[in-house]
Amino acid sequence: MSALRFEDVHRAYRRGQDVLAGVSFAVEPGQVVGLIGENGAGKTTLIRIAMGMLVAQRGQVRVFGLDPRERPVEVKRRIGYVAEDQILPPYLTVGEVIALHRSLFPTWDDRSARVLAERFQVDPAVKLRTLSRGQARRVALLCAVAHRPELLLLDEPASGLDPAARREFLETSIELLNEAGTTILFSSHYMTDVERMADRIVMLHGGRVLIDEGLDELREGFALALVPRTPGVSREQLLALPGCVGVRERADALHAIFHLDPRRAEEQLARDLAGSGAQCRSIALEDMFVELVGGQP
Amino acid sequence: MLIHVQPGDELPIYRQIVRQVLDAIAGGRLAPGERMPSHRELAAQLVIAPLTVKKAYDELERDGLIETQRGRGTFVSERAAPPADPAENRERLRDAAERLLSQAALCCVPLGDVMNLLEEIEREKRP
Repeated sequence: MSALRFEDVHRAYRRGQDVLAGVSFAVEPGQVVGLIGENGAGKTTLIRIAMGMLVAQRGQVRVFGLDPRERPVEVKRRIGYVAEDQILPPYLTVGEVIALHRSLFPTWDDRSARVLAERFQVDPAVKLRTLSRGQARRVALLCAVAHRPELLLLDEPASGLDPAARREFLETSIELLNEAGTTILFSSHYMTDVERMADRIVMLHGGRVLIDEGLDELREGFALALVPRTPGVSREQLLALPGCVGVRERADALHAIFHLDPRRAEEQLARDLAGSGAQCRSIALEDMFVELVGGQP
Repeated sequence: MLIHVQPGDELPIYRQIVRQVLDAIAGGRLAPGERMPSHRELAAQLVIAPLTVKKAYDELERDGLIETQRGRGTFVSERAAPPADPAENRERLRDAAERLLSQAALCCVPLGDVMNLLEEIEREKRP
């Protein structure tokens, strides 16, 4: 059984404007899925639907086979959740909010909470409203993982953190993967973090899943072709080539993304677009993001 | 063994690991029989997903460069021989050779001098 399954999920905040327009994918136990996409692509909406905080207007979501709206407590006990804009009760102390989570989660692990509290150096007597953003996120992470969740949902967990705090967050997540093989769905705009953590990439665009591939398959199975601008070459012509999934127009060249490895993409261009002077290469995730988003009609 | 990975590099992280282990074996920095860090150790050390380490090790194991001994760990093979296909071996060098020649052209070093340099380095490495 999948840890998490979205089936044809639709959600609009305003009538006729679907933020999610039929999203389907499943996350299998032990997978680490990086959810990427532009601001407004629907990443947060999707994660909130999985948490049962929002309802899908069409389609369905299942967490461990359960509907998070019908069985909220059962589902939430098995999930850890950290979000960029998560609000912890400001009038509570760190110790009190930890005690609160401890009472809500039967699987709470005191030892793991203690180890994290020590590492994060958070003072239990301090009120949450006096914490810095980085310290507050540490407390949120501690509360999200100390009950040893089977599924971790992270919505931009590292945004707004300084590089050291971001790295610490990654280290803790990697440790969790090492120890428990936790299933993780996380959204992020930091493509280098995604490359470190994820084994699969789901990219949302225009309310739908644009890319759903293993990270390494994506890195090695896609090529960027730089095609110098000449009168004989058009965007439409490139898009019509087999495997072409996006074309971005730049001043000096057309950037075409092919779902082919670089060598095959180059062979194809040499054959179908002889004399264009196109060069193909593999690209890192950050460039892939820019080219894919910018290359959509 | 010192491995350093750079996310955002042209090569995926698992390929960076494979390449650096190959370099270390070829350069004698990793000796046959030497113990490799476990998946978990290397994942924690490099701050990358353990699955990525597994993928790199699987590839190295397939090429006969390392071997896993059940319950004991992963070791550099006693016969850390290069893959059998000479054409493939040669092709593996192509990228590095192309980069070297571009660098040489930028520094205005003629091909003959590049060859001399290679021989000089080879002599230094294997006295």
